[in-house]
This record gives sequence, C-alpha cells and structure tokens, in this order.
Amino acid sequence: MLADEPTFARLMKAAQDGDKPATNVLLSEAGLWLERYFRRRIAADAVDDLVQDVLIAFYNKRATWDPKRPFLPWLAAIARYRWIDHLRKHYRHEAKELMEDDAVEDSEEDVVTARVSLDRLFTHLPEKQAKAIELVKIGGLSIREASQKTGQSESLIKVNIHRGIKKLAAMVEEAE
Amino acid sequence: MTMKNVKPGAMNREDLIAAMTEELTPVRRIRPRDGAALIIFATVVAAIGCSVVFGFWTGMIDGSASPFFWISNGLLAIVGASSATALVASAVPRVGARNSSTTWSTAMLSVLPIAAIITLISVEAGHDHGTSMSDAGALYWECAAYGLAASSIVALAAIMFLRRGAPVAPDRSGWLVGLTSGALGALAYNITCPLDGFLHTAIWHVVPVFVAGVFWRYAAPPLIRW
Repeated sequence: MLADEPTFARLMKAAQDGDKPATNVLLSEAGLWLERYFRRRIAADAVDDLVQDVLIAFYNKRATWDPKRPFLPWLAAIARYRWIDHLRKHYRHEAKELMEDDAVEDSEEDVVTARVSLDRLFTHLPEKQAKAIELVKIGGLSIREASQKTGQSESLIKVNIHRGIKKLAAMVEEAE
Repeated sequence: MTMKNVKPGAMNREDLIAAMTEELTPVRRIRPRDGAALIIFATVVAAIGCSVVFGFWTGMIDGSASPFFWISNGLLAIVGASSATALVASAVPRVGARNSSTTWSTAMLSVLPIAAIITLISVEAGHDHGTSMSDAGALYWECAAYGLAASSIVALAAIMFLRRGAPVAPDRSGWLVGLTSGALGALAYNITCPLDGFLHTAIWHVVPVFVAGVFWRYAAPPLIRW
C-alpha cells in the first residue's frame, strides 16, 4: 500500500533535516507513487527512466518544499515538469525527423511513445492535424502515402504534423 | 549536495536511491520571502546606483513633482509588487497556484502609454490638453534606456533566486522576471528624473516594463530550467 499524505510529509520533513533512513523510505515510496502517476501517461518501457529522472530532480530540489504545504501537490508539480520536459525532448526529436524527411523510418519505440502520449489529447486537435499525426506518427505511413490517402499535399502533411504535435505539447504544458 | 551528474537509467532504482540516501545532507529551506528580500535589495541597489550616477531629484520632497510623476511611479510600484510576489511564488513547485493580479496590474499600467498616444493624436488634430510636442521630455527616450539598464540588476537577482528554486513554468517565470525587473528598475531610475510631464512619464518611464517583459520571456527560460 502506498504511503499517504501525512506519512509523506513527515518523511520529507525528516529528509530535509538529513535523516537518512527516513529518506530511503521516502524515495522508495515516492518512486512507487511516481510509477503509478506515469503509468497512465507514457509508454510502459519509458516509465522507470522518467521515475528515476524525477527522483533525482526531487532530491536536488528538496529544499523547495515548505512543510506548511501539502507534499503530494509539490511532488506532482515536479513530476509534471519533468514529464513536459520529456515530451519537449520527444517533440524536438520528432521535428528533426520531419525536417530530414525520414519520418517513415521511426523506430517502433517512437511510434508507441507517440501513441500513448498523444492519444488522450487527440480529440482537441483540428481533424486534418489529428489525421496527419495518426497516419504518419502512429500508423507508420510515409509522408507521401499519407498525402495520397488524405488528399493533402506532402508539405501540408508535414505542416499539420508539426503544428499538431506543437499544439499537443502546449496543451499539456498549460494544463493545471 | 546534488546528484546532477547522475543520468536516469544508469543504474537500477534501488541503487540510485541508496546512492542518494548515502550523500544526503540537511538543507536550508528556500522560502519565497527570501526571494522577495533579494529583489527588494536589488531594487534599492539600483536606486542608489541611479542616484549616484544621475543625482537625486528633490522634486518629490519639495512638492514640485507633478501628479503624473506620482501616478506613473505608483503604478510601477504596484506592477513591481504584484509581479515580484508571483515571481517568488513561482520558484516553488505548486499545482494550481496561479493568480491574475500581475496581468491586471500590467493592463492598468498600459493605460498610460495608450492615453499618451491618444493625446498625441488629438494634439496633432489641434486639441491642446495642456501638453504638446514642444514638451522637452516628449522625445527624450534615453530615460527608457536608463530604466532598462537599472532593471538588469533586479533581473539578475530574480534569476539567481529562481535558479536556487525549482520553477515549474519557466515561460511564465520569464515573463515575471521581465515585468518585475522592468517595473522596479524603471522605478529605481525614475526617482532621479526631473522630467515629469505627462507624455514623458506615460511613455518613457513606463516602456521598460514592456520591453523587459518581452525580452526576459525569451531570455530567462534557458537560464532557469533545471
């Protein structure tokens, strides 16, 4: 069973004061909490790296928690920040591929990650952008194949993918 | 002690936690009021620096300062206070802690340059509202440059504090660095300026807020990401 808010807060206060055993328990419990947090948001095989990334950030920034405030919203804010950073890096990677016009050569891992990350927000995109992302980044079609299938020009497909992913990243970033 | 050089995935989670626990040291908590104190200190330093360079203007003591002087500097102080409060709060990770006071106070401040532009147009159309282009300060843009230079001291303090903290919305923090430093830096310079006509104060004493806001919106995020 996961630790509750009062337990987390007590352990965190001890960690700020330099209590090593309490910190060990805190980091382990925070790891489990983060695992559950990210499981619904990113591809399963990327969860552990992101959990470790957040644990390191959490450890380095532990002085920013105020004991008068709840712990879990603080942890969630850090987790969300690192998650956005993860998406941003992923987006940059996607943009680079589009510029190089080799989007069709995406690895299977990229396609899966893109699908899991984007699916939840897809409904907020204009139809043409969603279709372009779905066909190329999820369905694995080439730009040319997607162009033939949708009737959009190849340039338009690229633009729609670029704008769509950018919009998705912005939506995630703006979400409270 | 930090774990900045450790890459996620370089070891398994248990080993990572063990390594972090082993290196643990007590930390001094970062509080928003420390940031507020640092920003106030930087503003005072900027004001003293401006007074040394340009000389202190006694107009606000002997009563010769115009109402425009008080209105423009009062609004700058309000924008500076609201944006500095939001800025220091943004250094600490929180969820759903945003408020719109900075937006509204900046909107209020923007009434001044907008009113100045409308006045300029109506002067051109032949309506004299007690002001004219012959006002010596109307074209004296240098005050905006001096205000911007003073704002860099406040911006430096704000960025130093944000780097110690953990801002989770760097773009928003960037805006806040610009608005805070622009407002407080302009205020620090303006108290030395003897030009207190409407056109001068409404344009050149206020414009550093908007210039610094846009500049730091783009310049600050790379400096405060973590």
